[in-house]
Amino acid sequence: MNANTFLTRRQMLQRAGGGLGLLGLASLMREEKLLAAPAADPLAPRAPHFPARAKSVIWIFTNGGPSQVDTWDYKPELAKRDGKELEGFDKFTGFFSNAVGGLMKSPFEFRQHGQCGKHVSEIFPFLAQHVDKMAFIHSGHTESNNHSPALFMMNCGVPRMGFPCVGSWATYGLGSESRNLPAFVVMSDPRGRGLPKGSAANWGAGFLPSVYQGTYFRPQGEPIDNLVRAKEMSVAQQRAQLDLLGELNQSHYAQHPFESDLAARIESFELAYRMQSAAPEALALDREPEHIRRLYGLDSEHCAHFAAQCLTARRLVERGVRCVQIYSGGMENQLSWDGHNDIVGNHGGFARETDQPVAGLLADLAARGLLDETLVIWGGEFGRLPLAQKAAKPGRDHNPHAFTYWLAGGGVKGGVSYGASDELGHKAVENKVHVNDLHATILHLMGMDHERLTYRLSGRDFRLTDVAGHVVRDILA
Amino acid sequence: MQRAARILAVSLGLWGVSIFAAPAPVPADHGERMTAGLELFQKSVGALLKENCLECHGASVKLKGDLDLATRESLLKGGAHGPVVVPFNAAESKLVQAIKHSGELQMPNKKPKLPADAIAQIAKWVDLGAPYAEPLVKGAVAKKDRSTVTEQDRQFWSFQPLKKTSPPAVKNKTWEQTPVDRFVLAGLEAKRLKPNAAADARTLVRRIYFDLIGLPPTPEEVEAFVKSAASNRQSAIETLVEKLLASEHYGERWGRHWLDLARFAESHGFEQDYDRPHAYHYRDFVIKALNADMPYDQFVRWQLAGDELAPDNPLALMATGFLGAGVFPTQLTEKEFESARYDELDDMVATTGTALLGMSVGCARCHDHKFDPIPSKDYYRLVATFATTIRSEIDVDLNPAAHRAALAKWDAEHAPLAGALLKFEREELPGRFAKWAASAPAVPEFDWLVLDGVAAKAKEEGVTFTRKDDGSLLVTGANPDQDSWTFTAPAVSGSITAVRLEALADASLKKKGPGRADNGNFSLSDFLVTAKSADGKGKAAPVKLVRPRATFEQNQTSLSVASSIDTNKTSGWAVDPQFGRNHAAVFEFERPVSFSNGTVLTFELEFSNNAKHTIGRPRLSVTTNAGGAEFAAASQLQSVVEPLVALRDAGSADKLTPKQRALVLASFKRTDADWRALNERVEKHLAAKPKPDTVLVQVSSEGFKPIKHHADGRGYPHFYPQTYVLKRGDSNQKQDPATQGFMQVLMRNHRDEQAWLATPPAGARTSSRRTGLANWITDTESGAGHLLARVIVNRLWQHHFGRGIVGTPSDFGFQGEKPANPELLDFLAGELIRNGWSLKAMHKLMLLSAAYQQESKFDPTKAKADPQNTLVWRHTPQRLEGEVIRDSLLAVGGLLDPTMFGKGTLDENSRRRSIYFMIKRSKLIPTMQLFDAPEPLVSQGARPATVIAPQALMFMNSAAARQAAANLAKRLSESAPTSAALVERGYQLTLGRAPTEKERTSAVKFIERQAASYGDAPDARTRAATDFCQVLFGLNEFVYIQ
Repeated sequence: MNANTFLTRRQMLQRAGGGLGLLGLASLMREEKLLAAPAADPLAPRAPHFPARAKSVIWIFTNGGPSQVDTWDYKPELAKRDGKELEGFDKFTGFFSNAVGGLMKSPFEFRQHGQCGKHVSEIFPFLAQHVDKMAFIHSGHTESNNHSPALFMMNCGVPRMGFPCVGSWATYGLGSESRNLPAFVVMSDPRGRGLPKGSAANWGAGFLPSVYQGTYFRPQGEPIDNLVRAKEMSVAQQRAQLDLLGELNQSHYAQHPFESDLAARIESFELAYRMQSAAPEALALDREPEHIRRLYGLDSEHCAHFAAQCLTARRLVERGVRCVQIYSGGMENQLSWDGHNDIVGNHGGFARETDQPVAGLLADLAARGLLDETLVIWGGEFGRLPLAQKAAKPGRDHNPHAFTYWLAGGGVKGGVSYGASDELGHKAVENKVHVNDLHATILHLMGMDHERLTYRLSGRDFRLTDVAGHVVRDILA
Repeated sequence: MQRAARILAVSLGLWGVSIFAAPAPVPADHGERMTAGLELFQKSVGALLKENCLECHGASVKLKGDLDLATRESLLKGGAHGPVVVPFNAAESKLVQAIKHSGELQMPNKKPKLPADAIAQIAKWVDLGAPYAEPLVKGAVAKKDRSTVTEQDRQFWSFQPLKKTSPPAVKNKTWEQTPVDRFVLAGLEAKRLKPNAAADARTLVRRIYFDLIGLPPTPEEVEAFVKSAASNRQSAIETLVEKLLASEHYGERWGRHWLDLARFAESHGFEQDYDRPHAYHYRDFVIKALNADMPYDQFVRWQLAGDELAPDNPLALMATGFLGAGVFPTQLTEKEFESARYDELDDMVATTGTALLGMSVGCARCHDHKFDPIPSKDYYRLVATFATTIRSEIDVDLNPAAHRAALAKWDAEHAPLAGALLKFEREELPGRFAKWAASAPAVPEFDWLVLDGVAAKAKEEGVTFTRKDDGSLLVTGANPDQDSWTFTAPAVSGSITAVRLEALADASLKKKGPGRADNGNFSLSDFLVTAKSADGKGKAAPVKLVRPRATFEQNQTSLSVASSIDTNKTSGWAVDPQFGRNHAAVFEFERPVSFSNGTVLTFELEFSNNAKHTIGRPRLSVTTNAGGAEFAAASQLQSVVEPLVALRDAGSADKLTPKQRALVLASFKRTDADWRALNERVEKHLAAKPKPDTVLVQVSSEGFKPIKHHADGRGYPHFYPQTYVLKRGDSNQKQDPATQGFMQVLMRNHRDEQAWLATPPAGARTSSRRTGLANWITDTESGAGHLLARVIVNRLWQHHFGRGIVGTPSDFGFQGEKPANPELLDFLAGELIRNGWSLKAMHKLMLLSAAYQQESKFDPTKAKADPQNTLVWRHTPQRLEGEVIRDSLLAVGGLLDPTMFGKGTLDENSRRRSIYFMIKRSKLIPTMQLFDAPEPLVSQGARPATVIAPQALMFMNSAAARQAAANLAKRLSESAPTSAALVERGYQLTLGRAPTEKERTSAVKFIERQAASYGDAPDARTRAATDFCQVLFGLNEFVYIQ
């Protein structure tokens, strides 16, 4: 299980840079092979398989399954056949087999935007201004018509519980660039709507060491555990305490000079000390100038919560955090993009909460020159049917056969559309992109070959993409 | 020479089988050529291929050009572009052309051309027919062969029977303490290595405590050991090991290791992650079994089939929790029913394979195993074992034998009592009844007819109504938040004008009632009455209730009696603060109700405007008086009055119908003092009938009601009786039906598979298939028992020595590591079996060894020869696991609550040992996760020991660390008058040693300065001491055990 690798001299010196005077000891270890025990720094940065296009990823997870035909996948034919029955439709495609209605046109207007002339639903007035940055995948398809298996599929590559998610694989493969912040951060809907179905398993490390799991930032209170010093103690008092600890641990280490874990742990206390101030600093949105806060929509009540998360995401990637995932929408049906009823109210509402913040993020990243190395991903766990789900205000049921994702920045072409669903938006038909393919593409952009990123468990080499996956090369810049 | 030829011939039989399948013409002298070719292969060609070709073309997952040179069969099959060798014809063979660089394809790829001599030998070998003496990759078989298992496959080390090994000879004759040592020493001596010196007693006592019970020794325990070790070290160690193996904490420590393997958790996972509130019994089983030193084969057998093997033993039932501990979706669509069930079966098979046998059986779900000889059909034969096994929650009698005995005793006592009553009823009662009936007894006067014959039903489960003599019903059992009761009374004659509902006090109720709320209150949200004719004709019609009145009302608005008959469900009749006394409400009927054949009344009582606020002892009565009657007017039981009326109306007893006669007799006998006395003895004895001591347990069994599931409403069947072999693991691509069987590679001696299978007894609830699996898996002669033994002794070794003899403890297959000391492994596995599968005997054997007792000192020279310490030249230091770190903080802080067993908690402030945390998959305990506790999703055989900054934050800032430090500081301050004494005692408690002079000086200086920095605060010194104790917890020495 342990990497069983020796601490390299470079790592040793890096650690020694912690201001602890370990250099003296390092000289004892000049011969790298003489260091004992596994070097237990699972988060040390590791080189990618090939140069990465995206140093960081921000994944806007539109939880619940946004409807492709009401957002980015314009289907004039659907409007023509509004109200007609879809012949041969398998009523068990969605979740509710007893509420299958006829074909239903999008209640939203679509207009063309950008140089590329992309048709975009009226619910995204802000994001529509950025279509020339986006690569759309209209032919996504997945393996389950049920939320949590589909969420696991989208996050972990397998429609079952127990596998590491994309962020965990990436952290396992590349380590952490930031020494003071977690490598992989997850934020959930802060409006009391709960977590996505399957909760933490969506950002879990599965069978990978738990150090690779996503760090969940609590929406209220202390974002992560144990970040705040006991209140009866001052900075100086804690410093004095850590100085004594360092001194005692140093002399113990001197008796066991070859145990690199001991040195790593001595350093971990210094890192922890620095994290106490680094993490709050990264989250201090009040340090942002007013125009930036407005750009994200922090001043607008309807989207301020999501704006705060998007702005946090930018501050985190700026500070070396590799993966950030933000969930829009929570667990229960109508509390997410899961628009079984009232697609107008449901999608209209969630779009309004997220449109300006995500657009602000794209604009801000671009203005800082960060978009080139930051991959922004937008999408949920599946799509929705082009048919109505019968209700007083009709909605749409789950559809595993077609969904739309868009990617922007981080090595993808802007203003392109790849693959297509059929004329009604029911099933992906052209250049189909399976979830494994999407994952292969994301890893590729991060500099990793999805076939080489493996982890051996009980005799089997596991991959994020299982035994499949092709990089969608046509969208690469 | 003769002998060598015969061996070659045998080899030919094995490896030359397919020569006739080769497309090219076979020369007449092929026999001689092949023999010569074999010699060449063994002399040079085999090594040449191995050295130059196998890296890319050697039975690995990623074969270049899909060409595999591992076996002759795979060589002849060729690669992606067809055959590369024409046997007996080097000139036509692409392989030879490639190594000669005569064409475009040049091999070895991107490496220098082979020497001319090597090329010539390979070419000659091809001309001789390209025979193989053995596969070039050990154990490799050609791809197409993976669906069958051959004797060759069984040659792989882990499938082989245990070798009878005896301790080898060694040069150093003085080192050995147990037989283990000669095996270890022989390994070291072969590499010219010397073991480290023995660890000092102080280091050793700490090591043994943490290894066996996961808690630090107290300073007194340390000193006692150090003292006794000074006189006789080995005997002191033996005494200590025996003491700790007998400690109840042993099961808590080693149970946690097992729970990792069992992917144990107490919730479903997936969408809603519902709790499995009765799953903790499995954890308790593991602890109890380990503490009792249950033989390991039985430990395994019970986890697979305890319900079949020992159905009367509660622990055996609890053990089956193993199979059902995996995840399962809480929400399913029709399309997912069957695939979810196959996933669940896969979890059982994969966990069984990995945890018990170190075999990744699960890999064969989609295809024949790529590396190990596990054909897909073997996998589905195993899956079929569990086809009908599901998760259920059943009442388990914790002590069935005691219950049976008590019941027999009770039965014997009961017979004479019941007999006496029966005798009286037969011989004495009829005469007395006739005499009484002839006396024309009078019908008493009354206002209220008490409906003592009502049939009562509660909407919620578990609520019990017990009739009392006065016609009231005592409510016991579950006290649900909200409930709705339906009472139906036997027919009443006459014109009914009002109903009285009483809520009576009772000594058994909280605050004596009359309600079941904690304060004795109740709140009747709604009271509805319907009436219909007793002849069953017509529908029940609601009766409008008017002029409600009550003995007391909590207020005149929302808690008034009137509010119990309004339409508002958030209001209702309540009686706070008049608890512990009887209350009554009377409701008049707007119009009197009467049917000629009698009236059947149904009463609905709804309790929904407050939680757990039902009535504790209700009684219903009706009256025919105009305008109703007073609350306390004269009452008579319906069961008393009606027979008297019947007798009066009939005129004499002979004119009663048999049914009427029975009722009248029943009523009469209650008035007879002798009958009452006899009956009371029977009733009293009945009330004392022994009840089983039951508890709800989650089991994995067959034929019980499945645990409730969201998709039950959609018709989820929970299991499919027939298992199929699936193509690519897809339940939509069924192939042949699969029947139960075992892994062929672990069946030996030509034993018929049937011999392990068990036949269920007639009428059995379960299929006995799991018993069959248990038989095979523990059969050390012909089944998988030898591997079972190897895997578990390796796990024990791994936890004691920091690394298994096989470094991949859950992979004993081709991909796993080979044993560093195979003789030792087989010796230990054999010892386990010879010792009746006693794990404690194994611990002792390992811990008493000199190998275990070495000091941990790192030696660069030795490390060069054996960097991973696989030969055990030192003791590998280990970082304590999260559970042990937390338990140690609690122990040293004097906060540890040693309560064992029972329901766990999610509360991190709990002071019980960490194994008693509830494991809820969506709310894993953060501190455990922080220190590498695995997610309980798949079986995990080893934990990493990472070092990350958030762990340091836990020591610096967590409430738990601060609290333990504060408590330790308090303990220290009480007994140590000076800072120096405090430091001294602190070191003893946390590290089991005195501080060095330098440590003492620094620590004292720190405490003084820190206290000064807290200034005038009255607790400045305590705070400084707390800060110091926290430093002690942060020491590497506290969490790394040397």
